[in-house]
Amino acid sequence: MISVYDSRILNLVIFAPAAFALLLAFLPKTEKSQIRGITLVAMLFNFATCVWAWLRFVPTSDVEFQLEYRTAWVNDIGLGYHIGVDGLAMTLLMLTGILGPLVVLASWTYIEERVKEFHVALLLLQTAMLGAICSIDILLFYVFFEAMLVPMYLLIGVWGADVAERRKAAMKFFLYTLVGSLLMLIAILAVYFMAGGPGTRTFDYATLYNNLLGANKEVSLCMTAGTCDTALASNSVAFALWRYGPYLFFAFALAFAIKVPLFPVHTWLPDAHTQAPVAGSMVLAGVMLKMGTFGFWRFAVPLFPAMARQYQPLIATLAVIGIVYGAFMCLAQKDIKRLIAYSSVSHLGYCMLGMFAFTTEGATGSAYQMLNHGVSTGALFLLFGYLYERRHVRLMSDYGGIAKVMPVFTAFFLVVTFSSIAVPGTNGFVGEFLVLLGTFKSNLPMVIGVLATTAVILGAAYMLWMVQKVFFGQLTHDENKGLKDLGFREVITAVPFLVLIVVMGLRPQPVLDLLNSSSQRYIARAKYANGENIDADKVEIQKTRFLPKVMAEASPNFVPAFGLAAQVRAAEPKLILSPKAE
Amino acid sequence: MPVLNTPNFTIDDFMAVIPAAILSAAAIALMLSEVFLTAGSRTYQAVVAVLASLAAAAVALTNAFEPARLVLQGFAVLDPFSSFMTAMVSMGTALAALLSAGFLKHRNAERGEFYALLLFASAGMSLLALSNEFITVFVNLEIMSVATYALTAYLRRGPRPAEAGFKYFILGAFSAALLLYGAALLYGATGSTKLHEVGAVLHGALAKVAGQGGVVHSKDMLVFAGFGFVLAGFAFKVAAVPFHMWTPDVYEGAPTPVTALMSAGVKAAAVVAMVRVFLSVATPLNDAGIPFVLISMMALLTMVGGNLLALPQRNVKRMLAYSSIAHAGYLLLGVAALFVPAGSSAKSAVGVLTATPLPGLMAVAPAVYKGILFYLLGYTVTAIGAFGVLAALERREDEARDNTWSLDKLAGLAQRRPGWAIAMAVFMLSLGGVPPTVGFLGKVYLFGAAVDAGLLGLAVVGILSSVAGAYYYLRVVVYMFMRPAAADATLPVKHWTTEVALVFSAVAVVGLGLLPGTITTWLSRAGMVFGGP
Repeated sequence: MISVYDSRILNLVIFAPAAFALLLAFLPKTEKSQIRGITLVAMLFNFATCVWAWLRFVPTSDVEFQLEYRTAWVNDIGLGYHIGVDGLAMTLLMLTGILGPLVVLASWTYIEERVKEFHVALLLLQTAMLGAICSIDILLFYVFFEAMLVPMYLLIGVWGADVAERRKAAMKFFLYTLVGSLLMLIAILAVYFMAGGPGTRTFDYATLYNNLLGANKEVSLCMTAGTCDTALASNSVAFALWRYGPYLFFAFALAFAIKVPLFPVHTWLPDAHTQAPVAGSMVLAGVMLKMGTFGFWRFAVPLFPAMARQYQPLIATLAVIGIVYGAFMCLAQKDIKRLIAYSSVSHLGYCMLGMFAFTTEGATGSAYQMLNHGVSTGALFLLFGYLYERRHVRLMSDYGGIAKVMPVFTAFFLVVTFSSIAVPGTNGFVGEFLVLLGTFKSNLPMVIGVLATTAVILGAAYMLWMVQKVFFGQLTHDENKGLKDLGFREVITAVPFLVLIVVMGLRPQPVLDLLNSSSQRYIARAKYANGENIDADKVEIQKTRFLPKVMAEASPNFVPAFGLAAQVRAAEPKLILSPKAE
Repeated sequence: MPVLNTPNFTIDDFMAVIPAAILSAAAIALMLSEVFLTAGSRTYQAVVAVLASLAAAAVALTNAFEPARLVLQGFAVLDPFSSFMTAMVSMGTALAALLSAGFLKHRNAERGEFYALLLFASAGMSLLALSNEFITVFVNLEIMSVATYALTAYLRRGPRPAEAGFKYFILGAFSAALLLYGAALLYGATGSTKLHEVGAVLHGALAKVAGQGGVVHSKDMLVFAGFGFVLAGFAFKVAAVPFHMWTPDVYEGAPTPVTALMSAGVKAAAVVAMVRVFLSVATPLNDAGIPFVLISMMALLTMVGGNLLALPQRNVKRMLAYSSIAHAGYLLLGVAALFVPAGSSAKSAVGVLTATPLPGLMAVAPAVYKGILFYLLGYTVTAIGAFGVLAALERREDEARDNTWSLDKLAGLAQRRPGWAIAMAVFMLSLGGVPPTVGFLGKVYLFGAAVDAGLLGLAVVGILSSVAGAYYYLRVVVYMFMRPAAADATLPVKHWTTEVALVFSAVAVVGLGLLPGTITTWLSRAGMVFGGP
C-alpha cells in the first residue's frame, strides 16, 4: 500500500540531522556529554528514517525514482526541489545512515576540544551527503555537493592530527574539490541551456536527460559513421552536443574524478586521510568518495553517453593505473593511515573500472564495491582510530605484537583486513569478482583486466604485511605493553561492520536486487550511445509523478500544499507501483 | 483673451518624484541640523538618513505597482522599471549610511553634510532613472554626479581622496559634456528633447529614408553622432571598457562606504537611464543594428577586460573596483540583448557579436528587464556588503603605509572576526556566481535572457570570463580562512551600525539566492517599461 508519508520520508531523512544541529547550537558549550548524547540520538533517528525509507522502497518496481518529492522552488528558471532515490541511491542512503551513529560513537572520547562545533559539523555533513544522494534536480545536487565541502574542511582543519599539517591537508582537499566543481557548474549551465528552449528550461534531472536523449542518439550514430560534420547540421542541439560534448563531459568527469579520486588527481586524499580525525576519515572514505563514483553513474555517463563511450579506454586506463599504483604505494608506506588511504585509491579504481567496462556485471560489481569500500575502509579507519587514540602514533614501526595485549581488537582487525583484500566469504570478494568478470567480458583490452587482477594479489600483500608488522611478533615497545583491549563502546561500534562484512559476503542477493534495476538502466543508457537498440523504457527516465512543466503551466505561482500533492498522487495511481498493489 | 499656460498637474503626476523628494527633504533637514545642533555623537544623522531612505524605498515600491505612464507633461515616467530601481538604490543608500556611521566615527569625521550628500546623490539616481527628457536626464545626472564628486573627496586629508575627487570631477564633467553635446545634436536633428518624441520623429524620418532606397542622409549622420556621444556619456558612468580608466583610482580613493554606493547605485541608475534613452530613441534604428553592435562590443570588452584586470590585483579594494567593471559588463550584456536586430538571418553563425534571434525580441524583452533588475538587486546587496567588510577592517594607521586594503590584511580574519569572515565569504561567492547565492541566480536570469535573445556567443564569453573571476574572489576566501593572521594584526573595531548592515546584506545575499520567490514575481512587472517594446 502507498502511504501518504512516502513522499515525505526523504525530507525527514535529509533534514532531521540539520534540525538537530540547530538544536545543538542552542546548548551551552560545556555540556559535552549532553551534546554527544543528542547527536547520537539524532544519528540513530536518522538511521531509523533511512530504514523506514528502505522498507518503503520497492526493488522490483519499474518506477525509477521512488519516494519522490517535488515542490516548486524558483519556478521561472526551472529550478525545483526534487528528491527521490533509485536502487543505488537507496543503498548509499543506507550506508550513510548506518555510518552516522557509528561515527558519533567512534569519536566519543577522541574529541575533547570544541565538542559542540564538531557535532554540529557532523550533523550538517550528514544532511549535505544525504541531500546529494537524494537530489534529482541537478542544481540541487550541486548545492548539496558543494555544501559537503565546508564541514569536511572543518573536520580536517580543526580536529586534524598535527597542528601544522592539518591546515595544509584541509586546504588541499578544499581547493582540489572546489576547482573541479566550479568547472562542473559551468557544464551544468551549458547542459541547462542546451536541453531546453526559452521558457522550457529546467534543472530537473529527468527532463534534462530525456530532452538530450534524441540528440545523444544522433550524435552516437554519426560518431560511429564519422559523419557528424554534415549529419548534424540540421539539429542544433545534437550539433552542440557533438562539438562541445567532450568539454562538458570532461568538466563533469574532472569534478567527480577528483572526488573519487581517480589517478592522477588523487594526491589530496592521502594527506586528507592522514590528518583527518577518525570521524572525518570514516565519513570521507565511507560516503564522500562515493559521491564521485555516484556522480559518474548518475550524471557524467548518462548525460554524455557518446563521450563516455569515446573516452572509455582513457578512463579505464586511468582506473587501472590507480589500482596498480595505489597498491604499490601501499607497499611503500610506513604510516598506517597513509596505507589505508592509498588502498582507497586502489579500491576505488575497481569501482571506476567496473563502471567503465559497460557490462552489467561490471556495473553491479562497481556499485557493490562502492558499498564494500564504505564498510571495509570505514572499519579500518575506525579500528585504527582506536589504536591511534591509545598511542597517538601512526607508524608501523611503533607497533608490533599488539595481538598479545589486544586480542579482541586483533580479531576484529583481521576480519576487516580479509574483507579489504577480498577473501571469499567477505563482501569484498563479491564486488571485486563482479568487477573483474565484467571487465573481462567487456570490449576493453584483456591486459586491463589482467593488470587489475594482479593488483588483487598486491592488495593481499600490503595488507597482510601491515597486519603482520603491527599485530604479530614480539612486543618491541614498552609503551605498547600496557595497551587496553577494546572497551564495550568500541566493540559495539565495530560489530555492525563485522556483521555487514559477513552478511554482504555470504548473502549478497538482497543488496544485488536493489542494485540490479539501477545497473541495468545504467548499462542501457551507456550502451544506447553505441547505437545498440535497447529496451526503450530503461533508457528514458520514466515520467516522474510531478511533471515540472505541467505544474508550471497549470499555475505559475503554484505552491504545493500538503493536500494538493496527495491529490496529484491519487490522480495518477498507475505510476506508483508496489508489489502488493499490483 | 490670453490663456495662462499653467499645466494641470494632479497628485498622480508627482507620485513618481515623491521618493526623491523624501530623500532631498531629509538631506536638507540634516544639513540644517548640523548648523543648529552641536551634540557630540552624530549617529542620529545616520539613523535619519536610513529612515529617510527606507521611506523612499517603501514609496518607490508602492509606485512599482502603478500602471506605467508618462507624468509631468512627459518629462518623466512612472513605470515599474524605474520604481524598482529607486527602491533598490534607496535600500543601497540605507546600507551605505549604516556603514558610514561606524566608518566616520572611527575617523572622527562624522558630519551632517556627509549624509546629506549621500541622500542628494541617491535622489539624483532616483530622478535619473525616471527622466524622460534630455535636459532632465542631464540635470539629474549632474545632481547625482556633483554629490558623488564631493563625497569622493570627503576625507580631504591625505593625497589620495583629493586625487580621486579631482580625477572623477574632470573626467565626469567631460563625459557629461559629451552627453549634453550628443543630446544637442539629437535635438538639432529632431526638434525635440523629450525621448518619446525624438523616437517618433526619427522613426518617421528613417521610414522615409528606407522608402527612398535607404541612402543615409547627412542629417542621419548627425543622429548617429548624437547617439555615439550620448552612449559615451553613459558608458562613463557605467564604467564600461574603454571608458573605465577612472574607476580603480576613484573607487580606491573614495571613502569605502561611498565606493559601495557608487559601485551599486551610480551604476544602476546609469544603466536604467541608458536603457530608457536608447529604447526610446534607438529602437527605430534597429534595422541598422548600430546600437546593438556598439553595446554588445562594449559588453564584450567590459566583461573580459574587467575580469582580466582584476586578476593580478592584490589590493582588495582595487580588485573589487575592477570586479565592478566586470559586473557592468554582464549588465551591458543584458542591455545588448534588448537591441538584438530583429531581422537578422536565422542562418547566420552564432558568433560572438552576431545573433541568431529566437522567436522574437518582444517575447524575451520582459525577461531581459527582469534579469537586469534582479542582477542589479543582487549586485547591490553583494557589493555593498563586500565594501562594507573592507570599510569595517580599515585602520587609519595603515593609510600612510599604503597597504590598507592589501590581501594580507584579510589573512586570518576567520580567527579574529569569524562572523565577518563568513559574511565576506558569502559576498565573494555571490560575486563569483556560486549557488545558492543571489549572484548565481542573477547570472542565470541575465544570461538566460541573453541566450534567449540570441546572444549565445556573448553569454559564453561572459560565463567563461566569470571563471577568471572565481580565482580572484576565492583567493580572498583562502586568505581569510586558510592563512594565519599577521603577528601585528589587531582586532578590528566593531560598531553596531556596521554589524546591522553586514548581517542584512549577508542574509539578503543568501536569502534571495534561496527563496527569490516574491521578488522575482514583482520584478516580472518590470517588463512594463514606458516607451519600450
